[in-house]
Parts: sequence; structure tokens; C-alpha cells
Amino acid sequence: MVDVNLAKDECTGTIKFTPPLYKQRYQFIKDLVNKYKPKKVADLGCADCSLLWMLKFCKCIEVLAGLDICENVMKEKMHRLSPLPGDYLQPSERTLIVTLHHGSVAQKDPCMLGFDLITCIELIEHLEATELEKFPEVVFGFMAPAMVVISTPNSEFNPLLPGVTLFRHPDHKFEWNQAQFQSWALDAASCYDYTVEFTGLGAPPPGTEDVGFCTQIAVFRRKYPNTGETINLEKSTENPYRTIFKAVYPSLKDEKYLQNVVVSEVINTAQIITRRLLDSFKSEYKEHRNGPVEMKPDFQLPHCFMRHSRNPSLAEAEKLADDRNMETYVSGNAVYIPLIKFFSIPKVNKLCGTFENLSKLITGKVALSNDGSAVVISIEHEERENE
Amino acid sequence: MSGRARTSGRGWAGRGADYSRSDDSQVGGTFVSEEEASTSSAHGGAARLSQRCDLSAGESKSQCAVLGKGGRTRYDFPDLGINTRKTIAHVRDCKTGSSGIPVKVITNLYSLLLPREWQLYQYHVTFNPEFESRRLRLALLYSHAEFLGKAKAFDGVILFLSQKLENQVTELLTETKRGETVKITITLKSKLAPSSPVCIQFFNIIFKKVLKKLSLYQVGRHFYSPSEPVVIPQHKLTLWPGFAISISQFESRVMLSADVSHKVLCNDTVLEFMTDLYTRCDRARFTETCEKELIGLIVLTRYNNKTYRIDDINWSVKPTDTFPKRDGTDISYVDYYKQQYEVVLRDLNQPMLVSRLKNKQKDSIEPRIVHLIPELCYLTGLTSQARADYRLMKDLIQETCLNPERRQQRLSRLTDNIQRNSEARLELETWGLQLECQISLTGRIVPTEKILMQGEMCLPMSAGDWSKDMRNMKMLGVPSLDTWLIVCCNRNAEVVKNLLNCLRRVGGPMGFRIEYPKILHVQESTLAFLRALQQHVNPEVQLVMCVLPSNQKDCYDSIKKFLTLDRPVPSQCVLASTLTKPGMMMSVATKIAMQIICKLGGELWAVEIPLKSLMVIGIDVNKDALNKGSSVVGFVASTDSRITRWSSRCILQTAGTDIADCLKVCMKGAISKWLKHNQELPARIIVYRDGVGDGQLKMVVDYEVPQLFSSLTELSTNYRPKLSVVVVRKKCIARFFAEADGSLRNPPVGTVVDTEATRPEWYDFYLVSQLVHQGTVNPTHYNVVYDDSGLKPDHMQRLTYKMCHLYYNWPGKTAGKRRHSLKGRIYLIPFVGEGVWEEGDEGASSSTYI
Repeated sequence: MVDVNLAKDECTGTIKFTPPLYKQRYQFIKDLVNKYKPKKVADLGCADCSLLWMLKFCKCIEVLAGLDICENVMKEKMHRLSPLPGDYLQPSERTLIVTLHHGSVAQKDPCMLGFDLITCIELIEHLEATELEKFPEVVFGFMAPAMVVISTPNSEFNPLLPGVTLFRHPDHKFEWNQAQFQSWALDAASCYDYTVEFTGLGAPPPGTEDVGFCTQIAVFRRKYPNTGETINLEKSTENPYRTIFKAVYPSLKDEKYLQNVVVSEVINTAQIITRRLLDSFKSEYKEHRNGPVEMKPDFQLPHCFMRHSRNPSLAEAEKLADDRNMETYVSGNAVYIPLIKFFSIPKVNKLCGTFENLSKLITGKVALSNDGSAVVISIEHEERENE
Repeated sequence: MSGRARTSGRGWAGRGADYSRSDDSQVGGTFVSEEEASTSSAHGGAARLSQRCDLSAGESKSQCAVLGKGGRTRYDFPDLGINTRKTIAHVRDCKTGSSGIPVKVITNLYSLLLPREWQLYQYHVTFNPEFESRRLRLALLYSHAEFLGKAKAFDGVILFLSQKLENQVTELLTETKRGETVKITITLKSKLAPSSPVCIQFFNIIFKKVLKKLSLYQVGRHFYSPSEPVVIPQHKLTLWPGFAISISQFESRVMLSADVSHKVLCNDTVLEFMTDLYTRCDRARFTETCEKELIGLIVLTRYNNKTYRIDDINWSVKPTDTFPKRDGTDISYVDYYKQQYEVVLRDLNQPMLVSRLKNKQKDSIEPRIVHLIPELCYLTGLTSQARADYRLMKDLIQETCLNPERRQQRLSRLTDNIQRNSEARLELETWGLQLECQISLTGRIVPTEKILMQGEMCLPMSAGDWSKDMRNMKMLGVPSLDTWLIVCCNRNAEVVKNLLNCLRRVGGPMGFRIEYPKILHVQESTLAFLRALQQHVNPEVQLVMCVLPSNQKDCYDSIKKFLTLDRPVPSQCVLASTLTKPGMMMSVATKIAMQIICKLGGELWAVEIPLKSLMVIGIDVNKDALNKGSSVVGFVASTDSRITRWSSRCILQTAGTDIADCLKVCMKGAISKWLKHNQELPARIIVYRDGVGDGQLKMVVDYEVPQLFSSLTELSTNYRPKLSVVVVRKKCIARFFAEADGSLRNPPVGTVVDTEATRPEWYDFYLVSQLVHQGTVNPTHYNVVYDDSGLKPDHMQRLTYKMCHLYYNWPGKTAGKRRHSLKGRIYLIPFVGEGVWEEGDEGASSSTYI
């Protein structure tokens, strides 16, 4: 957790939050996500997508959506939401789809249905009266996610902020005090069958405790279970939002990537087993010829950083080599390693699920014996190499 | 001796922490978000741009900040605006040759269709009152979208439009949300023709955007498609197919050139690579081996879209150590990555990769240092270990080596996609651009050269390979091999005996007399080889042949080093495994015999050189792989007018010193050698300069050429030989295909292209000088940057083609001006460049062996 500090500059009376309040708000959401593990999260009024960018790293999230009324602001940094080259190199197990929509929170679009968490960070104070009026019906009534987080400035704190005359930002249409915000939130909660809890960020300096947090936050939770989706779908067939960005992250759920990973794993393990087998043949041969091989003392590595990172599949292969039921054998110029041996490697097992699936995934990509029961590794090269 | 200076100054054990505190404080600065990084890198490029385009710094800076948005922008056209052709009087009007048979050549160039009279209008925009926020400035200006039209690019200061506004100066009034009235003044700064450097750069940026729209990722300079990976699991490699593109002003129009490119990536993280290395190498030397393998490689990180060069490994910093963030607070690497990217580091004992960032601001002297976590980095490109693995290379070539037909298919797919993808097309159409069809042009196949052997002459059936034609012909000048040594392992004794027989058999027809050598049988270790050499190499020995038991670079390096520096004697290393391939022995022996002849100072063959008293010089400058900043200069010069005898030198140039100074020394040495052999000074000198990197052309033209010139005039006051300087580029984006039987083939050897695909401001041409059996041939680009010889373009092209025949390792023509390859290139330079460090002793390198 981040330490939250409030520093008051004695000379100017300026209040400074460390880390800055906007970061604290994002961190608040991130902590919430890590606690409740929602799968589908949407940020209304996502602006330059900073929060979405932070959230894309949260491993529980599978669907991430942003909505804003200003297309240019979203487009400015939306490329940050694209998958990175590294995501393609090691595709993640989860799926992730990030979409950005251009539209208003006063409009209903079915693409916002079925979410677990919807955040509205410093959004409502930018809404015109007519929009604000429709907002509860759209968010709580139509979108009806399991959880909603709404943050907004606390006007009681404003006198402590230097230079703030009317509102903190020229585009704010209003700024509420604690009572105003809470009554609005309680009304919405009771109307749409949600519970609400209040909290905030940016504690006031000592002596002024009753002004409350600089940012006030309401966390809403839906009281009824998730059944509303289908009903809502029928209610609206229009799509007033326009999708301006969509990124589908590479995932192991996609067979293309899964196959690559499984094939790589199988071939690597097979190569390790083959090498060990050949080495053991060779050392036997040497022993036979030269007498016992002199054992070299193992040098100590200056930093034992390798400790944690030993190849797990290597350890597995070692263990399996002892297993008499799954014997590897050499025939002609090739090593035959039973497929079942690979299936018992936890990583492969987990990736494939069933033996049939393993067999299906690697067929055509890895050389197999005629009956398909063993992986064949040619040792012709190995021998020539050692000439 | 061969230890790197860096290592000795730093050490990896406890002393690794000698990065000063102030350097460390830079670490925080490395975690800038992608946007900031892109903006600042664009600034870096902008500074360069401004030098060339005479824009004021402020203007060009902001201009590029806009355009370079969203990714790193490197400037691929730093050689823009260097007009050498206008200084060469006899080609000002016409630089094309005429000899040879015309041939239709299809290129990888696509013309860019622009409306007639198309211009790019550059405006300067000011706001009154002023605003700091770029976003606000953008919003204010874009509120007048209809007025400005669709095609606009604005970064807050500079505005590009494809249509001219009615007035030179336009004033617009806007109201902010706060109700403030803002006056926007838009002033026309310049009208840019499509061929202007700024406009060319603008096009390049537009096309980069287009490629991004096609879901291609920029890695380094090129664009790749990570969603279509080709996995080579047996070597833990992934290939991303992709493209290299650029827009340039070619001879008569602006065109897009596109070529296929592949990014090679390791599936393993750097940490996994290190772990694997640890299990396989000598543990006592692990850190050293690890540094040797990794330093200089480029890594891609897991959490951002950037690549870094590994400059060092810091073994004393751990992920649990802290660094100061930009806000001044300290945070450990583990916590940082957890907080920022939800990444949990598994290995808390891993060392740190160190990368030095390029200075963005010219005035800041201190390098910015980044620490990277091995666990979060992937290697791109190949390690030397991987390069030495012939099976890996074979599998890799299988995937990356595309024949003309397949290459063409990939290129067509790219251009089709650009035309089909609505977003991509829109991006171009907005600016009135249109990608047109592929360009084909007429090249010429110049006549096949006659190969002169001793007492006879042959006209090869195939211009690219005359090994068959010269069978049973005597080499031009062959010394006999009387006193020599063979060092080999006991178990290779049989192989060596066989080789010796073959050598003597092939030697006969060549006119090469080979006596029986002294054969030394040694143990299978580098040390044993060296000991044998120490004992038996004496000044009488003409040549040492070592039959190496395995492809260990260390062994080869030590032997070569000993025989180059400690006991200079010509040497020939042969891998035992190449001598065991059945059926190949005679051809292997032929090649070895020819190499030995060269190393003994013999001459294999010649071509007709119509010019009398012509001296040919080859210069190559290679960057040192390990020592950033320093480079290795190879210099060879002919010593006879038949151009079969050469002298060579190789100099290690440390960072900061001048290549031109070193060239001057070499030049003087070469001239005096010529004088010794010919009793007169050469009347003509042609210099082929290789190894000119992007952006270095100006340096060559402005600095090296005058230096070469002055080194000649300093010899004698009235000595004015005719001088030509040709810059050679073996790696160029241009590709040529020839059509035959309805499919695309490589153009025949000897194809010259000197129209359309060349540049109007240069006296340049392309030459296909090599026969390839696999993949697509790489034409070599020759740019004559200085020429007072008065030779017609036709003669310059033919002469260059003749020079391509004089690479003696292979009886066929070679890529590029390889006259000096003979010994220089293939052996000397890569050897000094990677392995041995000491400057080659002139005495040793002056005769024509390595």
C-alpha cells in the first residue's frame, strides 16, 4: 500500500498530497479490484485512459471498457491499451479484451451490460443537469453492475485549497458538499436496490477534520443477484455508442498460441531427455575406456541467483526418467519418448487438460512414432556434432 | 591482453556499484511512460532534422513532436540533402551506362500518386492568451475543424495542411468553456514540395501510422506482426514476420520501398537464458561468459514497447535494492514492478542488466542509465552462441530466406492490405495520397568478363560461377609450398592424411606444388595446439594448417591470435567435420588450395583491366561488437596494375579518434608500396569505401574525401592522380526481380540498374554481382561520391563489375566490392572485430595473408 501523506507548506498554506490525489484515486480502484477480483470492469469518463491502463495489468480482469464523451482525449493515449510485443511472446492464460466507446453516460447501450464493476472517477460534476438526471437510471437501472464506485470533489474542502474560488475545474458544473453527495447517493441506492458506503481520499489537516475528505467516494453494491442482463438486453436494441478502439489480447485460450506453447514445451523437454540419455551413454563409454572419470569440484557461483529459477520441466523430466512405466527407448537413429510422459508434466497437463488434446495439439508439429504414442527425436545430428 | 578495458575498470564482483549516485538518480527517469519517451525521442530526431532542413530549432522540434507521436521515431533518411552529383561534372546531365543487354527488372518500389501541384503547407500557430496545455491548444484549434479541412496535423505549434488557407495570416476567435475569448493566429511558414526533406519525412510518418493501423508493431526500425508468429521450438525462437519500408525521392518521383523483414526473438527471458548458460558453461567463468554473450544484444521488455541495448550487467544490484523515483521517494525494484505492472518477480537474486540511454539533450553530458530486470526482458536477435549453431541457422534460414516469388507474395499482401484496410486507406486519402502499382524498369546485363589464367583465358558459361570452366587451368602466379606444418588431434590423423592426398591431387592442375608437411599430433585441447605451435613455428615455416576438432570459437581465436601477433605466419584453419563429408573432399580441397595460394601471396586469376596504372583501394569500417564507439578499419590496396596483388592493413580505432586520420596513414603506406613495386606513382586511384552507416555519408563526403585527397597531394606537389571514391552498400532496401517463364527469379549476375531506383542527387547505380541459389539476391548499391577520373558511367560500372571477380575465396562473383575481401574482409576484419584486440602489426599484414 502507498503511504498517504499530507504536507502543508507553512509559508503559503498550500496543501499538497503525496502521492497526488489523482494517483490515490486510481490506487483506490486498483485495491478494490485486487480485493473483489471483478472480471468485467468499465470506466465511465475514462478521459486519457490512465486508469484503464493501470487496470489492464490486473490479472483478474478479462473485459475492460472505457467510455468518454470526448473522442480526442481518448485517442491521445489509447495506444497504451494495445497489447505489447511481450504479450505476444508469452501469451497470458487469461483473455483480455479492451474496448473504448465514444458516447454519453446519459445514453443506454447494451455494450455496457453485465459488468462486475463500473467506476465513475470525478465524472458526475462534469455532467449537465439533464445528464445528471438520467445518470442514475443509466448506471444503476440499465447497466446494473455488481458494484459502482463514484468519486466527486467535496466542496467543503475547497477553502483549504489555494486559488479555488468557485469550482476546482472550469468545466465543473457543480461541486457538492458531503450532505448533498450522500443524499444523492442514498436516493440512487434505494431507488435501484443497491447498498452504499461512503469513504474518501485526502484527509483534511488536523483541526479541520469536520470538512471531510478532499475527494468523496461512494461505493455501491447491488443487492440482488445478477439476473437482469437478459431483461435489459430486450429493453434496448439501439447502439448509441461508437466503438473507437478494440484490442484483443493474445491468450492461451486461443488455440494458435496454446499450440505454440505446448509444442515448445514438448520439444524442449524431449531435447533435455535426449541429451541426458546420450550423455549417460557417453560417460559409460568413457568410463569403460578411460577408467573412472575424474570428478571436478563444483565452483561456487558468486551470487546464487539461479536458485529459484531452475527449469521446472527439467526437474520433472528427471523425476520421470526413473519411472519404469514410461520408458524412453532408442531405436535406430532416434530416441522414442512416450507421449504420456509429457502429459504428466504439470505445465503441459494444465495447458492441455486431456491427453487427447495434447495429442491433437502436437500432431503435425512434432515428429511422432507411427502409432502416435511417442515423440521421436533424431540423434543423427547429435552424433555428427560430436565427431 | 584481450581483456576488455571496460571490464578491468569496473569488475563485476563487489565493485559494480561505481555508478555514481547521480547516475542512479537517473533510473527513475527511465520509467517514463511511453508517450513521454516518444515525444522526447522525436525531439532527438528533430534536432537532426533541423540541421538539414534549415528550420529553426524551435519550429522543427515541435513539429516532430506531433508527428512522431505514438512510438519511437527514428530517422531513416539522415543522408537526405547531400548532393554529390552536382560536383561531378561529367555525370551532371547523364549518369546512365549503355552497354549490355536490356532486361526488364521488377522492383520493390511503389510509386506514390499525388495530385498535380500537390504541396504541404506548414503553418505556425499562436494563441492569445497563451496556453501551456497542449491538449487545450489542440482542442481550441480543432474547434475550427471545418475551416481547416480534414487533412491536418498539429502538435500545438506547427500545423500541416494539405490545402492552402485563403490568407497568409488567418485569425480565428474561439471561446473556452470558461467563457474566455481566445485569438488564434495561423501564419503560413512555408510551402513544401513532395520532394522536400521535411515532406519526405512527413510521408514516412504517415506511412508508419498506416502500418500501425494494419496492426503491425514497430520494433526498432521496422514493423512486425506478432500475431502471426513463426515458432521454431527446437531452438526456442520466435520469428515475427514484418516489413521494412521507407519513402524517398527516387530518380524521378517519390516512391515507397518495401522489403520483407523478420524479427528474431527468444522465447526465453534473459533470466532463463542466464540459467541455461549457467548449467552449461564453466561456472568459474560464468559471469564473464554471460557478459560476453549478452552485452551488445537488444532486449525487449515485458511491460513496455521499447527495446534496450545491454551495455553491461551489474551483478551487485538486486531486485530488492531501491532506486529513487522521480518524485524523490525510494522504492525497490520488486515493489515498483508489483505496483506499476502487477508483476511479481520470482527471482530476487538476479543481477541487473544495464542500458545506457542515448542523450536526448545535447547539453547533458551524463549518460542516463537504466537497470532492467532479466526476468522481464526478452532477447531479440541472435546470440553468438546461436549464430555458431549451424542447425539453428539452417532452420532459421529455412523460414527467413524467401525466394523472389515468396517475397513478392508478401509484399503484395502488404500493399493489398494498405489498399483494403479502410482506416489505412483513409489515412492516406485524407492527405490526397495514393499508393500506386509496383515499378518495373529496364536494367542491363553487362557482358560476362573473361577470366585470365596462366597462359590461357576462359569465358565462363555462367557469369556467377566459373569453377567448372577453369578446371585444369593453371593459376596465374603460384609459389610452391615447401615448408609447412599441419597440427591436428590424434583421432583426426586419418582425415588429415586424406586431405593431404586430395590437396596434392588438386594442386597439380593448378600448378601448385605441395610438399609433404611436418604433421604434429596433439591432444584435443586448445593448450595442446598452442604448445605445439610454440615449439614448431619458426621463420622458415611458410604456412601452418590447423585441423580443429570442434567448432569452438575460443580455440580458433587463440590459434589465430598466436599466429597473427605472437608468431606471425600465414595460417589455415580447417574444421575436421568439413573434411569428413563424403564426396565433398575434392571440392573442399580445391577451395583450401586456393585459399592457401592467396595466403602465400600468389595470384589465382585476373580480369582484363583496360586502364593502365590503376590502383584500387578497399576500405571497410566495422563497429566493434563489444566496445561501443570504437571501430575496426580494414584497408587493402592493390600493388600491381593487373590488380592481383594486394597489401592490407587493419587498425583498431578507439572511440573519439578520427577514421580519416587513420585512412591518411594507410593511404600513404599503400602509395609507397605501389611505388616500390611499380617505380612510379599510380595515375588513377579508385577507392571503394564500405561500412558507411546511416547518416555518415556527409562525414565521408565532407571529411574523408578531402583527407584522402590531401594525403595524395602531400606526397609530391605536382602529383595529381585521377581519384574516384565510391561508397558501397551491401545492405540496401532495394530488391530486383526478373521475370522468367511466368515466375519471378533473381536477376542474372551482371545486372546493372542505374535509372528510376537511383537517387537524382547522386551518381549511383546498383549491381547484382552474386549468384544465389537460395532466397533473393541483395543488389549492391554503389554511390560515386567523388570522381575526377572522367570515366564514363558505363566504364565505372564495368570496372566495378570486374572488381567483383577478384575475391579469391570463391570462384564466382561476390556481393559488393570485394577486391579486398580476398584476405582483408573475410578473415582479417571479422577476426579483429570480434576477437583479437591488438592492432595488427603492419609487418605481418603487409603481405597478402591474414
